[in-house]
Amino acid sequence: MSAVWIVFRKELREILRDRRTLIAIGLAAVATPTVLFVIAQVSTRTVAQAYTIGYSGDIPTGLGILFDATGLKLVHVDDPAAAAKQQVDIGIVFTASGLDEYYDPTRQSAQIADIRLQTVLGKYDEAKIAAALREKGVDPSVLNPLPVSVHPLSSPVQAAGNSFLSFFLPYILITMSLTGGLSAALDTSAGERERKTLESLLLTPAPRGHVLIGKILAVSLTSLVAAVAAIGSMLVALSQVTFGVSQGEPLHVTLSPVAAAVMIWLAVLLALSFASVTIALGTLARNFRQGQAYATPLYFITIFPASIVLFIPDFNPSLAYYLIPILNAVLVLRDAIVHNTVALGSLAITTLSLLVTGAVCFYAALRLFTREALLVRS
Amino acid sequence: MNEAAVRVDRLEKSLGSNKVLRGISLEARGGEIFGLLGPNGAGKTTTLRVICTLLAPDAGSVEVLGFDTRVAPEEVRRRVGVVTAEIGIYPRLSARENIAYFAELSGVRRARAGRTGGLDGDINRRVDRVLERLDMGSFARQRAESLSSGQKQKVAIARAIVHDPPVLMFDEPTSNLDVLASREIREFMVESKSRGKCVIFSTHVLHDAERLCDRVTIIHEGRVVVSGPMAEVRGKFQDLEDAFLSLVAAS
Repeated sequence: MSAVWIVFRKELREILRDRRTLIAIGLAAVATPTVLFVIAQVSTRTVAQAYTIGYSGDIPTGLGILFDATGLKLVHVDDPAAAAKQQVDIGIVFTASGLDEYYDPTRQSAQIADIRLQTVLGKYDEAKIAAALREKGVDPSVLNPLPVSVHPLSSPVQAAGNSFLSFFLPYILITMSLTGGLSAALDTSAGERERKTLESLLLTPAPRGHVLIGKILAVSLTSLVAAVAAIGSMLVALSQVTFGVSQGEPLHVTLSPVAAAVMIWLAVLLALSFASVTIALGTLARNFRQGQAYATPLYFITIFPASIVLFIPDFNPSLAYYLIPILNAVLVLRDAIVHNTVALGSLAITTLSLLVTGAVCFYAALRLFTREALLVRS
Repeated sequence: MNEAAVRVDRLEKSLGSNKVLRGISLEARGGEIFGLLGPNGAGKTTTLRVICTLLAPDAGSVEVLGFDTRVAPEEVRRRVGVVTAEIGIYPRLSARENIAYFAELSGVRRARAGRTGGLDGDINRRVDRVLERLDMGSFARQRAESLSSGQKQKVAIARAIVHDPPVLMFDEPTSNLDVLASREIREFMVESKSRGKCVIFSTHVLHDAERLCDRVTIIHEGRVVVSGPMAEVRGKFQDLEDAFLSLVAAS
């Protein structure tokens, strides 16, 4: 029987009996949908929430109805400017010549209430002007000489959902591909030294390269399972969360088959690379704790590319960017989610880049795993 | 059996800037217990590590049953079993699983009757036989993390002999064990010798060496101080300890 298979089977058996790894995967599967539900709840509440406007003076006729329809609640106060600091979201004073508004821009509720207030006042102005023009026998449409009809090519709600997925899925994919197998990787490398089993293992006639491949495959599979579990549970949760209504039906965000296939392929490539890197780092460490210290910077390095998509949503890179490992995975997955298609060129370059990265990491791990200092230091 | 199973010739080895071995030569034969003696830091463990191919020699040569450690390290490892003081076993595997893992990695499953001189190729039967030989049946299915030190040492021995190697090396095997477990190890070495195995016993417990070894080599600061049959080395001294102290002091 091949040493690769023997080591792979034994490592998996140990991983399945290791609470740390199982808890990490379980938490990932539970935490992702939990966070999602919290975000959905907060978003829903924000949309449905009524904001309070403290006012003084006389409300112009008809304006009160518009306030009610826009979720703005009017409350009479003695000093609107003072009340706007904490008591209400916005303060307004109706005067004979118009309206004075008081709000604190550092408060998010004040910002949202201000946007709604401007909308209400705009509609009120339009209605008053239209009525005045009609009284004078003028068609109000003269104020709108170039009417615009908007025809979205896809559902705006679906687009918003895809935008949400295009950030979260790459982030979870990268994070879980790294952290899902991290404990197992350190256990099978640094842990092997800490437990004093390394010498016995290297005393067997099994080629060391085969031993290492068996370990990398076991850790990769663990990472892959963790990533798929986290993303799978997130998609299940998304199917339960409504992102609005389209043609009378509640709209749920779903992952297209193209995006799902791309995601699985990228997860495999990332898991193999990360397994090699983390095992190499673990081989440098004398014990599990030291291995964790070595791996911590890696976490920050890997989540950085996912953040680019968050901060530059319309980032439109040239093909050269697809040579950069991890960033290329984020970009390909983003394209697959947002556009429901993948350019073969960018996918091929990404695949090649990640395979080369994996091979380099494997070579580094093999060099570290076969050097004499590994035993002498332990 | 008088043919040398292990032959070390003018072996030199440095670890970093520290020259640990400075021309060690020795021969160990099948059917004997060969003692490798010396104070802490003399180079005993490094010598054993070079013999079993964990470390490569800087100069000189090492042969195990005719296989050069530089040329055919995997063939050497196939023929050697090593027991050390540090009992490293996998805590989440049972005693039996630990032994079976090393049996598989040592190629037991690949061995076939007729092709390898009648070796039993079946992992389970081989593991069962070792468990029985070391009287491990009562804890074979227990997780290693729950075993006592003596039981763990038995797992370590079983792991080292499950592929039935003709050369067995014991590096300070009793240093972490109680009296009872130590005695079992000594009995096991004697039994292995009677089976024709070449047993190399590295220790600084001279009392054990005196009782067990047929021939000894005493090394100090990476050099051989004396080598030969036990009676010859002990010579005119009262016991091995006197001989050891005198020879080391004079070297």
